[in-house]
Amino acid sequence: MSDHDHQHPHAEIVHAERPGYYDIMETAVRELLIEKHLFGPEEIRRQIEVLDSRTPALGAKVVARAWIDPEFRSRLLADGRAGCEELGITFYDDTQLIVLENTDAVHNLIVCTLCSCYPRPVLGLPPDWYKLKAYRSRAVYEPRAVLAEFGTHIPDDVEVRVSDSTAIVRYLVLPKRPDGTEHYSEEQLAALVTRDAMIGVIPVTIGSGQ
Amino acid sequence: MTETKHLLNRLPNDIGGLPADPIQRTEHELEPWEKHCHALADVLDFHKIINTEEKRRGVEALGAEMVGKLSYYERWIAAFANILFQKAILTPGELARKMDEVGARWELDNAERTS
Amino acid sequence: MTDKPPRRIAGIVAATGETPIFEVGGRVKVMTRAPVGHYRVPTYLRGKVGVVDAVIEPAAVDNEEEAYGRNAGSRRHYYRISVPMTSIWPGYAGSPRDDLRIEVFETWLERI
Repeated sequence: MSDHDHQHPHAEIVHAERPGYYDIMETAVRELLIEKHLFGPEEIRRQIEVLDSRTPALGAKVVARAWIDPEFRSRLLADGRAGCEELGITFYDDTQLIVLENTDAVHNLIVCTLCSCYPRPVLGLPPDWYKLKAYRSRAVYEPRAVLAEFGTHIPDDVEVRVSDSTAIVRYLVLPKRPDGTEHYSEEQLAALVTRDAMIGVIPVTIGSGQ
Repeated sequence: MTETKHLLNRLPNDIGGLPADPIQRTEHELEPWEKHCHALADVLDFHKIINTEEKRRGVEALGAEMVGKLSYYERWIAAFANILFQKAILTPGELARKMDEVGARWELDNAERTS
Repeated sequence: MTDKPPRRIAGIVAATGETPIFEVGGRVKVMTRAPVGHYRVPTYLRGKVGVVDAVIEPAAVDNEEEAYGRNAGSRRHYYRISVPMTSIWPGYAGSPRDDLRIEVFETWLERI
């Protein structure tokens, strides 16, 4: 219970407890490298801003645009990175993007069994569960059981296609547009699209999203 | 003796297909140091001081016990330290002295705050 | 206005790695070597047969060497290959239509 006076907001957030061992290590490594002029402190600050600006809302806008604009959709499916760049989503690394279209015949799911490859420039940082053992080991050999744990059931006559990222390509699922959204605006459509739908573990529904 | 070769031939992160538990839908907001660590990784890769694949190899090289016990970003910063030593960009002594300095700085700031 | 296909010039030899060895639709087998050190072909994929779904352009650095600091040179192609789940996992429990897609560097693949 805090008894401090809310009339006086803190000038800065301070650590309540001593920084942990790895926190101290990170600070030390960063400061040493800056002292040695390998990079400047402003680059780290800038990259934190870059990371903060990348959230699933970006991916949702890409999906919504693809749903309403068939020519954009074609360009996006031909070259995912270029499609995102059209919307101003820069890729700050050397990765490419393949956008995987869910259809009546194919349901896509993405995973990185070896580490945690994820389309960060367009979705932000992945959730813990994506990076942990259970998802990474099982998505690739029992995808339907994994989907079921997320409440998603795909009929047997629909192919479940799992993409395991191991190299330079990252993946983004383009979910199926839900029925009943024919008159939605692009903004309303984007509001339905969640991060988990773009990983492929759940569909987009009228009730989903923000 | 070849009974141990699987320890070399199968990396600790190569887990596709291994039996595993139900998925725990854990998520957490990154702590500030974790976000700094991620930004550090991106800046190191941009300059190719440590590229992203070197980082992955560095994490694997920690070995199964550390890969199992350290958290995601703890593995990254440990890997970075090792790689920077290997590349003679830092020495273990330098890092240890700087870590002591950072810790002492916090102690001092903390003493000032609570005095 | 007639669209004539460009006439390819004869006698040009492409350098090592410039031209993809495998084509979309080609059948390929993932090699069964078991390297010491860094690798990016999961054990579950070794020896499996698939079909090339896409040739990733442009040619790129081998990530298994990149991990040791090779940031440039020796570029070859990655291929996104399609492998049926039933051919990877004995007793696969899902639909026989289910499929895995994964990118593999050229030096890990052979033609069959």
